Amino acid sequence: MLRILLIDDTPKKLGRLRSALVEAGFEVIGESGLDIDLPDRVEALRPDVVLIDTDSPGRDVMEQVVLVSRDQPRPIVMFTDDDNPAAMRQAIKAGVSAYIVEGIQAQRLKPILDVAMARFESDQALRAQLQARDQQLAERKRIEMAKGMLMKMKGCNEEEAYTLMRRQAMSRQQKLVQVAEQIIAMNDLLGQ
Amino acid sequence: MSESPRQPHADPLAWVSGSDAPEKPTLDIGFMALTDAASLIVAATQGFAQPYGLTLSLHRQHSWSGLRDRLIEGQLDAAQCLYGQMFATELGVGAQSVGMAVLMGLSQNGQGITLSARLRAAGVTTPEALREHVRREGARLTLAQTFPTGTHALWLNYWLASHDIHPLQDVRTLVIPPAQMVEHLQAGRIDGFCAGEPWGALAVAEGAGFTLATTQSIWPDHPEKVLGCTHAFVERYPNTARALVMAVLEASRFIDANAENRQGTARLIASPEYVGAPLSAIEPRFLGRYEDGLGHAWLDAHPLRFFGEGQVNPPYHSDALWFMTQLRRWGLLREDPDYLAVAAHVQQSALYAEAAGALGILLPGSYYRRATLGDGSVWDGSDPAGYARGFRLHALADAPL
Repeated sequence: MLRILLIDDTPKKLGRLRSALVEAGFEVIGESGLDIDLPDRVEALRPDVVLIDTDSPGRDVMEQVVLVSRDQPRPIVMFTDDDNPAAMRQAIKAGVSAYIVEGIQAQRLKPILDVAMARFESDQALRAQLQARDQQLAERKRIEMAKGMLMKMKGCNEEEAYTLMRRQAMSRQQKLVQVAEQIIAMNDLLGQ
Repeated sequence: MSESPRQPHADPLAWVSGSDAPEKPTLDIGFMALTDAASLIVAATQGFAQPYGLTLSLHRQHSWSGLRDRLIEGQLDAAQCLYGQMFATELGVGAQSVGMAVLMGLSQNGQGITLSARLRAAGVTTPEALREHVRREGARLTLAQTFPTGTHALWLNYWLASHDIHPLQDVRTLVIPPAQMVEHLQAGRIDGFCAGEPWGALAVAEGAGFTLATTQSIWPDHPEKVLGCTHAFVERYPNTARALVMAVLEASRFIDANAENRQGTARLIASPEYVGAPLSAIEPRFLGRYEDGLGHAWLDAHPLRFFGEGQVNPPYHSDALWFMTQLRRWGLLREDPDYLAVAAHVQQSALYAEAAGALGILLPGSYYRRATLGDGSVWDGSDPAGYARGFRLHALADAPL
């Protein structure tokens, strides 16, 4: 049976993943919470599979583990399924990355990844991306409009108007379009 | 090549609807919580991309590995990347080999090596004292960097070796995510680290450590972060890639234009959405003002910079070669790569020349630049294979120690 080490270093809780894997009949040999201890944990526990959140800061520590183990009898590699790249993409989207002892076959790992993927929160990034697409054109028009208003109000040229807007945006940790909206609102209020 | 300089501000919509229009108008851009992500953050949020028909959607990443995987899988279109990592990915060090592209340099200088307050108390505040200390029995020190094939690993190795400390034999090195460095230093789990800012400045501010060396003291105006993507992306979306370079070039020029813009940028990136560190830890070094935690304060002659009148951004082939020579030197590359061919494949100098030329930014006379490093050695990109073998301390398996 494949022996699994879980890495638990992000706010996404892996607690239930452990029990889900155990219930599905897999052997979870440990968890690691502190990234700095990862190399020692891997060395001591000798897992066949390390499961980690794709967005975990500990990923870079695992990168070191991979390089250090290159010449050892049981080298650890990042799991990439050459026969089924779509499955890999799905796993990354779901937020799961797996490191395995080289030579473990994809079909042995698949049921483990399936359980892990079901337990991870779904990725919100895609939704945000779709929203951005709709905003794009509107944003440019609003910035242009605000710039025109500011040029008129301040009697300045285009570059000066941009600079004024950017200074304001950066000092408030805002996007340029947010400052543009404020200028437009103020302009409406003043009835110009 | 483009025929004439474009004037995007004169009529932005002409650019958007022309045949050079970006094939992909919305780009997902990855960055790490580091001050040298500033030009991407400014480009995306301060209206520098819209004139080129682009919207840049920023995505903060938590590891360089995750960032790389998302680039490869297409969830990110382009990202802030570590120079060395680009070539490790291109050449398949520790992972599958994927063709990569460096679109432009994002920054030079501004990283540093920090040692613990405990070592300071023990009088280990100079390279010589550090060498003495590591030679003492039972004093094996643990030094952290951020990614095994990244710039910080290579700066740390280079600096240690230039002071006669073998980075793989005389000390223990490990990888720690940069945001965790100060905490581990404070807790005594590591004795020092090499990372980007604001983490070195934060260690000094919190009394956890002191700055032993800046990376600009290793190599004044050294290459650091790059704007990277897969080679497949550039092939598929050449107009998009060029528009992206133009937007980031304009943002870089804006940041370096004056102190006021720099201050504004420091304030912007301090936001929890971006770097998420106190402005007091970000701003001084962002403006070139250093304090090392040993009582020295100075205005650095080679601080972090993003544009430098266009000197920062060309994808110099000699810079690419240098990182490959160091990956080779420390045994991360098992054999000599085809140095020149790899540099020519990865470095998008033709595309950069189009973008910079259209903005009237001075192009380098050559993509080979001559640099004198802090130890007095000269690097001009000639004979990379010989250069990689020319160091007294190394980890080349096939060369005599």
